[in-house]
Amino acid sequence: MARYLLTRLGQALVIVVLVTLITFVILHFLPGGAARAILGKEATLEQIAAFNHEMGYDRPLWEQYALYLQRLVHGDLGYSFQLNQSVAEAISQRLPKTMLLSLASTALAVVVAIPLGVVQAVRRNKWPDYTINALSLLAYATPIFFMGLMMIILFSQVWPVLPPEAPQGFTLGEVLADPAGLVLPTVTLAVLTVAVYSRYVRSSMVDNLNENYVRTARSKGLSEGRVIVGHTLRNGLFPVITLLGMYLPALFSGALVVERLFNYPGMGLLFWQSALKRDYPILLGVTLLISVATVLGALVADILYAAVDPRVRLKASRS
Amino acid sequence: MNDETRDETHDGAHDEAHDDGTRVRGLWRQGLEVFVDNRLALVGVGIFVLLAAFSFLGPLFHDSDQVHTDLASVYLSPGTAGHPLGTDGVGYDQLGRLMLGGQTSIVVGLAAGLLATVVGTVWGAIAGFAGGWVDAVMMRVVDAMMSIPALFLFMLMAAIVTPTVPMLIVIIGAFAWLGPARLVRGEALTLRTREYVLAMRGMGGTGGRAVRRHIIPNAIGTVIVNATFQIADAILYVAYLSFLGLGVPPPAANWGGMLSDGLSDTFSGHWWLLYPPGIAIILIVLAFNFIGDGLRDVFEVRLRRR
Amino acid sequence: MSLLRLVDLSTDIALRRGAVHALDHVNLEVRQGETLGVVGESGSGKTMTVLSVMGLLPPGGRVVGGQILFDGRDLLAMKPEELRRVRGVEMGMVFQDPLTSLNPTMRIGAQVAEPLRVHQGVGKAEARERAIEILRRVGMPRPEKIVDDYPHQLSGGMRQRVVIAMALIRSPRLLIADEPTTALDVTTQRQILELIDDLREEFKMAVILVTHDLGVIASRADRVAVMYAGRVVETATTEELFRAPRHRYTEALMHALPESAQGKLYSIPGLPPDLSRPLTGCRFAPRCRHATDACRTTDVQLVQAAEEHLYACLHPVTEPVAFAPRGAGEPREAAGSGTILSVRELVKEYDAGGKGRVSAVAGVSFEVKAGETLGIVGESGCGKSTVGRLVAGLEEPTGGQIVLDGTDIAGLDRRARRRMHREVQLMFQDSYAAMNPRMRIDGILTEPLEIQRVGDQAARRARVTRLLDQVGLPARALERYPHEFSGGQLQRIGLARSLALEPRLIVADEPVSALDVSIQAQVLNLMRDLQSELGLSYVFISHDLSVVDYMADRIAVMYLGKLVEIGPASQVVRAARHPYTQALIDAVPSPDPGHAPSPATAIRGELPSALNPPTGCRFRTRCPLAQEICATEPPLQGGPHQVACHFPLRPEAAVSAGAAPAGAG
Ligand code: SF4
Ligand code: SF4
Repeated sequence: MARYLLTRLGQALVIVVLVTLITFVILHFLPGGAARAILGKEATLEQIAAFNHEMGYDRPLWEQYALYLQRLVHGDLGYSFQLNQSVAEAISQRLPKTMLLSLASTALAVVVAIPLGVVQAVRRNKWPDYTINALSLLAYATPIFFMGLMMIILFSQVWPVLPPEAPQGFTLGEVLADPAGLVLPTVTLAVLTVAVYSRYVRSSMVDNLNENYVRTARSKGLSEGRVIVGHTLRNGLFPVITLLGMYLPALFSGALVVERLFNYPGMGLLFWQSALKRDYPILLGVTLLISVATVLGALVADILYAAVDPRVRLKASRS
Repeated sequence: MNDETRDETHDGAHDEAHDDGTRVRGLWRQGLEVFVDNRLALVGVGIFVLLAAFSFLGPLFHDSDQVHTDLASVYLSPGTAGHPLGTDGVGYDQLGRLMLGGQTSIVVGLAAGLLATVVGTVWGAIAGFAGGWVDAVMMRVVDAMMSIPALFLFMLMAAIVTPTVPMLIVIIGAFAWLGPARLVRGEALTLRTREYVLAMRGMGGTGGRAVRRHIIPNAIGTVIVNATFQIADAILYVAYLSFLGLGVPPPAANWGGMLSDGLSDTFSGHWWLLYPPGIAIILIVLAFNFIGDGLRDVFEVRLRRR
Repeated sequence: MSLLRLVDLSTDIALRRGAVHALDHVNLEVRQGETLGVVGESGSGKTMTVLSVMGLLPPGGRVVGGQILFDGRDLLAMKPEELRRVRGVEMGMVFQDPLTSLNPTMRIGAQVAEPLRVHQGVGKAEARERAIEILRRVGMPRPEKIVDDYPHQLSGGMRQRVVIAMALIRSPRLLIADEPTTALDVTTQRQILELIDDLREEFKMAVILVTHDLGVIASRADRVAVMYAGRVVETATTEELFRAPRHRYTEALMHALPESAQGKLYSIPGLPPDLSRPLTGCRFAPRCRHATDACRTTDVQLVQAAEEHLYACLHPVTEPVAFAPRGAGEPREAAGSGTILSVRELVKEYDAGGKGRVSAVAGVSFEVKAGETLGIVGESGCGKSTVGRLVAGLEEPTGGQIVLDGTDIAGLDRRARRRMHREVQLMFQDSYAAMNPRMRIDGILTEPLEIQRVGDQAARRARVTRLLDQVGLPARALERYPHEFSGGQLQRIGLARSLALEPRLIVADEPVSALDVSIQAQVLNLMRDLQSELGLSYVFISHDLSVVDYMADRIAVMYLGKLVEIGPASQVVRAARHPYTQALIDAVPSPDPGHAPSPATAIRGELPSALNPPTGCRFRTRCPLAQEICATEPPLQGGPHQVACHFPLRPEAAVSAGAAPAGAG
């Protein structure tokens, strides 16, 4: 187990370093060079020269990268002249809110998708399976912002029970103080997730239901419910844990769209605003941070999986 | 998803070859039969053909000016003479615009999906065959890029270069190849150890022959199936980028862009600006998913022992 | 008194189109305390019969007619609740594949005790105690520890014990064992079968033993039912069935066994019928050598031969089947001279990912003469397949020499290496896996010719057609794909492909292990015919001693990477010198019911890991004769019949059949 943890940790570290390399390369391909892109079009030549010198952009490339890494390690993600705020500060104000949205919708999606997938697997190739399958395909094919808009029309116009806009609080507390406003963004983001998860749960459960050990369990005279809950469910759901990690990039992409649609003051909205304003320090900072979050999330999911599934746990501890 | 539909009996009672002079059918023919068997796949092909015909042949029958704005006739309702689907906020004919937008969506989707498939296949194949540290390095690069959520990356790129149609294809293609790369690498790794490759080596065959005669023909199915899903995803990506304000600038159009423009018009009751492009996108994404599922059946089923 | 009675039981399996009529009016009876053997080939319906009883039919499966009377009550008329209880408490089942029939994420104890917890409401602590107790009873070492383990921590044999324990914990009145030992090695098989026998007496239960192996039936069952194509064709007491079978299929099956070969094996032509089509007459008629027109049109019913003996045949056997004593087949014609293959001190080790090295093959030497068959036997993990791959040039040895036709293959350059592959070819166990599913048979057969650049298009075409003819397949097979053929046909095509380059040596790795007895005989005969026609040499690798005995001129026995015995086939089989060989021989169940294995040579315990093999004699951890000196390695010594043991069971000269084992040590 310890050995497995170490290799997995090392892998994650390599990936994070590679991500910093990617952002570094992008930084250098910014139009007009890094300095002009960061300082803005109005910057004078002197300002640019001074900035280049200060950031070390006049030194050899590898030194620049070393400096870049060094700054990152110290939590210095750069400075946004457009917001007049350090990138780290801008992000730290919004990150918790994005996390709240992501976690809430993931939790909702898991709670909904597992029963759906299980029902599909147990009633496979019968009408419940077909119906759920059709709905999840439809959800998958619908652009998430279109879906969100449908929700807004349904739940705040046709049947006005929920506000069409997300809470506009500055802090996490303020956002939480308006739970009604959180409902639509969370549900919208969850719908797509449910479509993906339920498909996965279904196929994992179907695989397990076809296994010989299920026949053994039936031979003990167990009821069908007991066979499914006591035997198949555990085995079928373990792999779903890794899916939670693998799905993170798509989840964050979805959050970006949802935040823009509902004007939810998270990292996605910040990213969107910065993209329109070409505020590169923020764009790169957010990209880097969201990637690190993805890597960490996947790492946690893998470790969790290894911890709960005896097959992985014991294999890992022996090697 | 079709793994549970095995129709063999437990005792393998059907282990019988046709020595009774039934027609000899080629693999492609057998595959076609399986595909035709899957009604949804046929529906998918039908939808795609209809939408493509609508977009590319439609302008021949319904001529409209999609270059110049016409501020004199904005927000005309559907049914107005010459504008069966009305006009939008700057006076473009909505029906004609749907055709034009369809062209962009389909072209970008197909091109970006195929580009991603080609790049990913080459990358994954090299990694899988080379193995060792080459594989490790190549796959860590894929891991790293995959950990950056796709939309963030697309937006970053779109913020740096101004998106035109070819640029959009390159941007999406340049980052969507990661999935196929992983898939093909895995496929290459398993195929490399198949017994028929071993048997070929036992005849004195070389690695090159293994790739040409055995690995590529067997991996091609997976790649083709995946390509259809890539196309569907690419069409969605274009829509998302347009929604986020980084799609192709007017007078060019695409369904995603029209849909997101339509969002702002919903509350003013201009439903014809919203639903037609929305439904068009859903239909074409569904179509490619149906086709993909059908093709998967083809490649899985036709070689299954009966 | 009958415990279970099947009356006209019919079962269908629905397909996408139509249905397979897997069982057609099956009538069977199991009495209290007896073992009923159900024997048949794949597709005969033997497994479907027991799955119908247990209510475990695969998706689409349904009992469509008849009764299942358990203790006089019809299971099919019971309420689901009650039915579950009867099946869960009064019946237990043991499955074929112990590796997949346990829940991988549930502790052994929890799985074993689950029936108690569910049906008898036993508490957790008590359930655990009872699980430990029953695990101990089925011969599990350290049950207190194993009760908390997970299945994948155990070997196949151990897992099968767990499954048996699980079935027994409810003290069932009927135990159903469906091919319980097919996935296991012979020595383990013997342990498991003995265990089931002992437990049957102790628990006073009835046993249904389903198997394809007549040998297993002969040594373990009281009565036998023979099934063919969804019907019971003959039932009798075991003794009577083997002495005087009446049905022509039963007879043919016995004649197809390598053990009964007097010279050449009888091979049943053709394939079993397709059960999804309507059938008339005797279902065996198309393959039966005694069939008449009456057989093809009459619906043949079971008739009584003796009190306990029923059969369904119009032209029954009248004379008894004679079983030849093992190894008494006529000696094979002397092989030609000249050595084609010489293997010297062959070593193969694999890296085990930082945990050391796995010693798969450790210093193996042997020779194969032109026109001769060398059989290599041993249980799984003994390194026999690795030897085969090394000889066929598919893997590089870690040490030692392989000399093919006078040249050491290690020193060859690329061109010479490619030419070397013309001389030696491999034949696989699963020809389907060894053929590219997207190539037609003509492509598959021409591939070796293309690789070796033999002849032009027309010549290749002619060669391929001739090859197909040699293995007895019609030319139109060329345009078909591998998945369109049955297992036996694929094995023929595989053989044809090995022959394409006119090699002098064919390494056949378990070529018939996946086949039914009747099909196996077809392939074995074909291999022998082609050998004498073409002057081939074979290295014939198998776990099945009787098949090797039938095929080989000389036999080499391997254990854990070492060659422990090698000599002329009849001597190795009839006068084994190594304790392991003797144990292997005794473990093979003989289809001759009079044959009883000697308990003295039964080996216990598990195969040690090849990662850290025992020093000295690798068999010493399980050898009943082991002494201190066995910690030093015994050399392979002797004349034509060599053995690697400090205390050989016999001196070499003892070649006469049935010589009493010399009590060594
Ligand atoms: S009934 Fe006829 S065909 Fe059937 S086994 Fe007997 S002799 Fe053969
Ligand atoms: S050398 Fe010793 S341990 Fe090995 S087989 Fe002979 S008697 Fe047994």
